[in-house]
Amino acid sequence: MMADREDQVCSHLDLLKTQSDTRRHFLGWGAGGLGALFMNGAMAAPSGENAPLNFNRNPATPLSVLPPQFPAKVKRVIYLHMGGSPSQLELFDHKPILAKFHGHDCPESFIQGKRLAFIQGIPKLLGPMFPFHRAGKSGTWISDRLPHLEGAIDDLCVIKSMKTDQFNHAPAQLLVHTGDPRTGHASLGSWVTYGLGSENQNLPGFIVLISNGGTTANAGKPLWGSGFLPSVYQGVACRSAGEPVLFLDNPKSVSRDERRKVLDAVDEINQQTYREFGNPETVTRIAQYEMAFRMQLEASDAMNIHREPKAVLERYGAEPGKTSYANNCLVARRLAERGVRYIQLYHWGWDSHGTPVDEGLNVGLVKRCHETDQPTAALLADLKARGLLEDTLIVWGGEFGRTPMWENRGGQEMEFIGRDHHPNCFSIWLAGGGIKPGISYGETDDMGYEIAHNPVELRDLHATMLYLLGFDYRRLNYPYQGLDQKLTGVKPARIVSEILA
Amino acid sequence: MDHKPQVPIWDIPIRLFHWSVVLLLCISWFSADQGYMRIHLVSGLTLLALLLFRIAWGLVGSTTARFSDFLHPPRRVAAYLKSLAGGERILHAGHNPAGGLMVLALIAVLLAQVATGLFANDGVRFHGPLALLVSEDFSTRLTNIHGLIFDLILILVWCHVVAVGFYLLVKGDNLVWPMITGKKSRAQLPPELNIVFTRLYIAMLLLAVSAGVAAWIMIQGESIL
Amino acid sequence: MAGDSGISGRRSGHLSASVYFGCVGLVTLAGTGLAMLARPAFGHDMLQWIGLESVPQAQASSFYAIRVAPLFETRCAVCHGDKRQKSDLRLDSFASVLRGGKHGAVIIPSDTKNSELAIRIFLPASDDRAMPPDGKTPLTEDEKTVIKLWIAHGATGSLRDIPGAPKPVAEIVIPELDLAQVEKKRAPLVAEVARLQGRFPGVVAYEAQDSADLEINASLKGASFGDADLQALAPLAARVVGANLSGTGVSDASAPVLATMTRLKNLRLSGTKVSDTAIRALEGAKALRSVTVVDTKVTVGALAPLRARGVTVYGDGDGP
Repeated sequence: MMADREDQVCSHLDLLKTQSDTRRHFLGWGAGGLGALFMNGAMAAPSGENAPLNFNRNPATPLSVLPPQFPAKVKRVIYLHMGGSPSQLELFDHKPILAKFHGHDCPESFIQGKRLAFIQGIPKLLGPMFPFHRAGKSGTWISDRLPHLEGAIDDLCVIKSMKTDQFNHAPAQLLVHTGDPRTGHASLGSWVTYGLGSENQNLPGFIVLISNGGTTANAGKPLWGSGFLPSVYQGVACRSAGEPVLFLDNPKSVSRDERRKVLDAVDEINQQTYREFGNPETVTRIAQYEMAFRMQLEASDAMNIHREPKAVLERYGAEPGKTSYANNCLVARRLAERGVRYIQLYHWGWDSHGTPVDEGLNVGLVKRCHETDQPTAALLADLKARGLLEDTLIVWGGEFGRTPMWENRGGQEMEFIGRDHHPNCFSIWLAGGGIKPGISYGETDDMGYEIAHNPVELRDLHATMLYLLGFDYRRLNYPYQGLDQKLTGVKPARIVSEILA
Repeated sequence: MDHKPQVPIWDIPIRLFHWSVVLLLCISWFSADQGYMRIHLVSGLTLLALLLFRIAWGLVGSTTARFSDFLHPPRRVAAYLKSLAGGERILHAGHNPAGGLMVLALIAVLLAQVATGLFANDGVRFHGPLALLVSEDFSTRLTNIHGLIFDLILILVWCHVVAVGFYLLVKGDNLVWPMITGKKSRAQLPPELNIVFTRLYIAMLLLAVSAGVAAWIMIQGESIL
Repeated sequence: MAGDSGISGRRSGHLSASVYFGCVGLVTLAGTGLAMLARPAFGHDMLQWIGLESVPQAQASSFYAIRVAPLFETRCAVCHGDKRQKSDLRLDSFASVLRGGKHGAVIIPSDTKNSELAIRIFLPASDDRAMPPDGKTPLTEDEKTVIKLWIAHGATGSLRDIPGAPKPVAEIVIPELDLAQVEKKRAPLVAEVARLQGRFPGVVAYEAQDSADLEINASLKGASFGDADLQALAPLAARVVGANLSGTGVSDASAPVLATMTRLKNLRLSGTKVSDTAIRALEGAKALRSVTVVDTKVTVGALAPLRARGVTVYGDGDGP
């Protein structure tokens, strides 16, 4: 009787299985198979300088470490993005001749035929608002707004001739972090974790920390998105107060063991799905669940700065329990120690147009400097003392520069002093492994309007960063939409060898 | 021009073809030299259409237009050339055997020029409609050949002009005027004449088809127009 | 036949063939001569071909050969060289640089204002005539200056030094990845490496895809990675170029193993139980560049010899 019943069940299951193998499946497999045959024949393997490297991994461990193409100078990156774009004329680009023309009408040639974000009519020229001086043994020019950073000036390489072609925040930020002003492309951190994996399998390989700007920068989550790369390489935006990732911890009534049992069950179902359909995203989804499980233990500890010695907290100006740039810098150091590959900090509020008080050069910029100067210097010093600076790359900068003209929104004089967006030139600095310390690279003209010497495109910066990480930027690519997509895009890029040690 | 009886020997399509080619060659040369590449593209494609037409017309056109009329085995060409040098000059309606070779050479070389031009590129901004179908290396090689064939065209055109000048100044036989009016004086023609003129509408049909092929090539490829 | 009287009997008003072809010959020669005048480059070609002009050469040690020729080769020869000769201009040899192209000489020695090449490389990218044209890698400021200075100093193939010329920048050359070669290099220890990678997942990795050298990173294992574990990695010691043992359970007992890592470039021992014994074991690591000993019992004295030979030391309280 039971045997009959079993037979019935079995044949019923057989029936269900047969039904599930629909025409759709057959056609799908068939077309896929034919397609595979075709691809094998028709696609000649690319060779030479653009041939992609092999990034194949076990899909169950998508962030496992892969060696770089050639020996790397740095093993990790900490990118400090000053959202809104800090004014280079008030921080790093010393323009005494512009100072002489302060208050004069802006020359026609500056604005003729150009599209400016908010300036209308003929604005006045605005000289630097703060005094500059030469600092450190290297004699690098810096204003008086960053006294703590000045202490580390001999470790920095300041590039004053960065250029972009975007004058609005979102596309400019996307260009900086994904290599393209439109959404849909993979971010720097995604490329790096795709190429190198991450040393710590219990933490995300690409972590984003945001301060002073709610939960996101202008361009939103695509700034740390994976674009066309597998989604496992996207950045994880962590909160620096409370739980690092919302709902990471189990609900109160669920123990870790129970959670493990749930995960095991879900794993089995996903494994079955994988056996049926073979979609590698299924396996990475399993990997992500497992990562979240491991993170429960490690992330909270990594991001928790309560147990740091008081001296360290004071050096950064960090206050446990709050969200601040200082806290984020300290967390960044902890994450660097724990093998996280790419750490991205965003600090909003540098958009010194001069419209609201918080965005004026004379008020807002001062506050931003105050918020970021000490923690940034502390981060540099801390990494150096621990021997981590020599294999970490630090990048600091915004998404474009600011105009030497006084912003006059709607053609009106404004209450607070500000500058408009200026894509033609801006300043960033780099520090860390492989970077020549204590130098300035590139020059702008006397008015700080155009680049006079050694322009550096963002793709050149990207190519240089990838070179330091051990990659030929042309060979870190991914086939998508018929093109071997690269971070640097389709135009040739130049590795800025002059800034390399 | 004398008042001896004039016999029609060249039909309208042949005459229009000849002088259009002259004009288009000049335009192509000038536009390439000065960098007006869009004009060069249009001029080249028009030449292509005309050449295709000429080849078709050479099969079904009027007697003097047909390849069978003026393409002869080498022995006849040699015999004709001998007759030029001394003795009785053999008269022909239409192209003589030597001239026939010139026509063949010119059509072939012009066709090669147009063909290589379709695949050419200038390394920066412009490329022919079919340039993207081949590898860049191959396209560059064809571009170089396009340049070399131009020199060949110049040489052939010079030879052609010298030959026509020879007939005019040494033999007293004006070949230019008949290519415009279509008529030659009876005295310069062989006694047995049997010239059949194909209907004009067939020419127009063939021209339309040729133009269609040229347009199709342009649309198929990616052009700069 | 009516009319024609052959070549011998001339009809009145007509030329004889010999006169005609004689004139044609003269016109052809004149035309060639005019072409040579209009295209000076063509003129140079003819004269050099006949032998009336010598082909200019540049000395191998000249400023041209060392600084200018490589620029022309990498930035210009793609369109002005062997494969393509835009405007009939080649820039892949000293002679052809001086010869010029379709519109004449592009270099007028000592005259940068009127040298077409000097003018064009300084045009803004938006100008149609700018060289290299938009889309190709542009010349850097220094590169443009080098070319301009060379022309200003006479565009010779013999001048060696131009004072004030920007210093050459080391070109970044990324070595070609030859996987077969790498396999050969790795072959002797490949089985051992694979075994130990299996035993200690995430600890042993090749330094790079083109390298047979290894890096050890046990810092994330914490105290569970101890001396015995490092000892297990001893067979690989000669290949280890980097070792991160910070926060692990290693102690001075690992000194012998460390001593066999003679090719070590950087070593991290922060937060471990090591002391001066372990540091002394590093005497033989001649390639050592940096050592990190934060939170250890290592003394300044033991670190002095390392510092003396230029090794950067982090974490002994005195700073690097």
